[in-house]
Amino acid sequence: MTKEGAGKKSLLLGNEAIAQAVVAAGCQVATAYPGTPSSEILPAIAAAADRLAAPMAVEWGANEKVAFEMAVGASFAGARTCTAMKQVGLNVAADAFMTVALYQLKGGMLLISADDPGPHSSQNEQDSRMFAMFAKLPCFDPSDASEAAAMVKDAYALSEKHGILVMLRPVTRVAHCRQTIDVVESFEPGTPVKFERDVNRWMALPAIVRMSHPRHNARIAKIREEFETDWGKYNYELPAKGKAKLGVIAAGVSFSMLRDLMKEWGRDDIAVLKVGTPYPLPRKWVESFIARHDKILILEETYPVIETQISDRSKVNGRWNGAVPEAGELLPEVIEEIVLAQLGETPPKLDTSELAAAAGELGLTVRKPQLCAGCPHRSSYFAIRKAIPAAINPSDIGCYSLGVNQKGLDTSLCMGASVTMSSGFYLAHKVTGQERPVVATLGDSTFFHMGVSGLLSAVYNRHAFVLCVLDNSITAMTGGQSNPGLTGKPREKDEGVALSIESVARGCGVTFVETVEAYDIAAGAGAVGRAWEHAKASRSPAVLIFKHPCMLLRVPQDTVSVSVERDKCVGCRYCIDYFGCPGLSFDERAKKTSVDKRYCVSCGVCAAVCPHKAIVKSAG
Amino acid sequence: MSGSGMQYIIVGIGGQGILFTSRVLGKIAIDKGFPVVGSEVHGMAQRGGSVISHFKVGGYSGPLVSEGQADVVMAFDQKEGIRNLAFLKEGGTFLVNADDESAFENDHLKKYLARRKIETCRFAGFRILDEHMGGKYLFLNVLILGAASGMKIEGFEEDRVAAALKELAPPKHLEANLKVFELGLKAARA
Repeated sequence: MTKEGAGKKSLLLGNEAIAQAVVAAGCQVATAYPGTPSSEILPAIAAAADRLAAPMAVEWGANEKVAFEMAVGASFAGARTCTAMKQVGLNVAADAFMTVALYQLKGGMLLISADDPGPHSSQNEQDSRMFAMFAKLPCFDPSDASEAAAMVKDAYALSEKHGILVMLRPVTRVAHCRQTIDVVESFEPGTPVKFERDVNRWMALPAIVRMSHPRHNARIAKIREEFETDWGKYNYELPAKGKAKLGVIAAGVSFSMLRDLMKEWGRDDIAVLKVGTPYPLPRKWVESFIARHDKILILEETYPVIETQISDRSKVNGRWNGAVPEAGELLPEVIEEIVLAQLGETPPKLDTSELAAAAGELGLTVRKPQLCAGCPHRSSYFAIRKAIPAAINPSDIGCYSLGVNQKGLDTSLCMGASVTMSSGFYLAHKVTGQERPVVATLGDSTFFHMGVSGLLSAVYNRHAFVLCVLDNSITAMTGGQSNPGLTGKPREKDEGVALSIESVARGCGVTFVETVEAYDIAAGAGAVGRAWEHAKASRSPAVLIFKHPCMLLRVPQDTVSVSVERDKCVGCRYCIDYFGCPGLSFDERAKKTSVDKRYCVSCGVCAAVCPHKAIVKSAG
Repeated sequence: MSGSGMQYIIVGIGGQGILFTSRVLGKIAIDKGFPVVGSEVHGMAQRGGSVISHFKVGGYSGPLVSEGQADVVMAFDQKEGIRNLAFLKEGGTFLVNADDESAFENDHLKKYLARRKIETCRFAGFRILDEHMGGKYLFLNVLILGAASGMKIEGFEEDRVAAALKELAPPKHLEANLKVFELGLKAARA
């Protein structure tokens, strides 16, 4: 512990600690596309660059592939670069990622791919370290925020020494942990920028790859050797006192959790091998630890990356033999159970039976995420459903996927799939001689991310569906980042050019493009009907933009108080089941809806919802 | 700080301003020179659903509090608080914004609180904000800080919370925040 007032320390989010380390390392070009749990990295890079007046370009790409390739180009030119995304974002950038792995880069390049075991805010639990192994690229797996920050600097040194792309893989519990961190006050100078023509270096033609791939293998073998001996700050052993009953190989945040648990248990009969570089695995070092212990357990999230690199697993317990769960987060209680199981012990179970009984009687359940009170998506979904209840409603990735509570969407898969899957729904029905309306939804940022290429394809192929762009003028789910529909850029003094969704849609060849106020349910429902008629008649996609700013932007708007006239409320639950605003609550005993003023933001939209006109705008 | 450190669980519903409370708690710990590690909820999970912040002051490595280990559970929402009571250690403190007193008459809950020797501090946050702040429930986070100070919960020393508010709250809301802080102090002493 430091003395009171000594040093300049701040309580930083893991992503902020990583970000200031990127700036301190002399990064010159930083790019990203937001996605939980990576979203705060780029804004924090911009904030640190602004604070220190660092000569850096800090920009959002329209999607992860765009962001990744912007960094690649800058690296080819000699600049030190960084690109950040969430795990599924790396799938979008994978085309560039897999091939750039083979290059001899000029400027150091760091890829931060943030994983989400759990998952908390993701559509899958994929492990980016597996991607590092797939591309044969070195990967750092930080156990906390301060180690993640330290790894940034070393990752650049490794990248520049070998001309290789390096991955830093924080999980949610690192990215969104808060930790005491030294505030960065200075930054390293960047690297000289001068692009030099050399097609043998900068092109991935088959004849060149036949040389670069073996070269890549040789350097990853070299890095593996370095990890064996030179990287004790991230790869080290905490020996047991006396003979260990168990050897645990622990990586990432599982290591930190295990340390706290061992303290809590007061145990010193477990030896721990802490691995900070899961790929390429310092195999000799790890296998010597295995050789010295009778029994081994591997703790890593979320896929068996260390495990699969070990040649003899006869003593090793992990995912291959079911000792460690193959899905979900390794929470302290999970680690406790699996470690003690290896020791033949059962964890002391806290008796919470009374609590469970109370929770049952009091009806306490986990509250699911939902659209905010006053969210424009709620009224958009209500209008869409009302217009064509029988429509298929493909949707996308963003806040609006919470419209599932409004029964406003049928599918969500990945960024942009609302558009392309609408094509698929149209085609499947068309070839079997059926007609079924398709009304898809996606957000403004998602539209620019990957919606446009699907739209081009749908226009070209003559696919009839309605695409509703729910434009709330922000990338909301991830915390309010800018996108190509806005002028905001991460650095304070930068200003971008805002693209109009209407113009982009028209530029794609769409002939029906209209914008409606998202709060106006009647206008929205009418427009959806017209759009579908146009799509059918012209055999082409129609684009409808539902526009209203996100409530989190706190744009001033009219305050319209509402109340429920109890005698008119028949208890049909229509407002609850299809509008589902946190500002409306239903009394199961009285069978009446009422306004819950803890959450109501007085947007007034629900006054248009009740079929019995029981929800009314009240005076004042 | 007693023994090895202090572990806090802060629960509520996304949008209630929980993150600000942990920032204040963190600021105070850092000013005292204690290392801090914790975990927050961002992204989809934050939208109007159950949220939980873990916060550990002292010599900890991992960001999460284990079941039965928390010194304090602070609940912005009563239901969320009761649902997460298993985090509390024996003899721990449960500070809760109570909006339905009848729940505390539940026999099972009473037994659990008694058996685990949990000290429960209830304050009617919504009613207080209705009466004094025109129903502006966004002040709940500062009210709960005041209540924690008033209840002398370790890490929420009155002068330090007030100082942290002055530093962390937006200047235009400072006066209102200090007023709410006082209301919280009073609620705790009532």
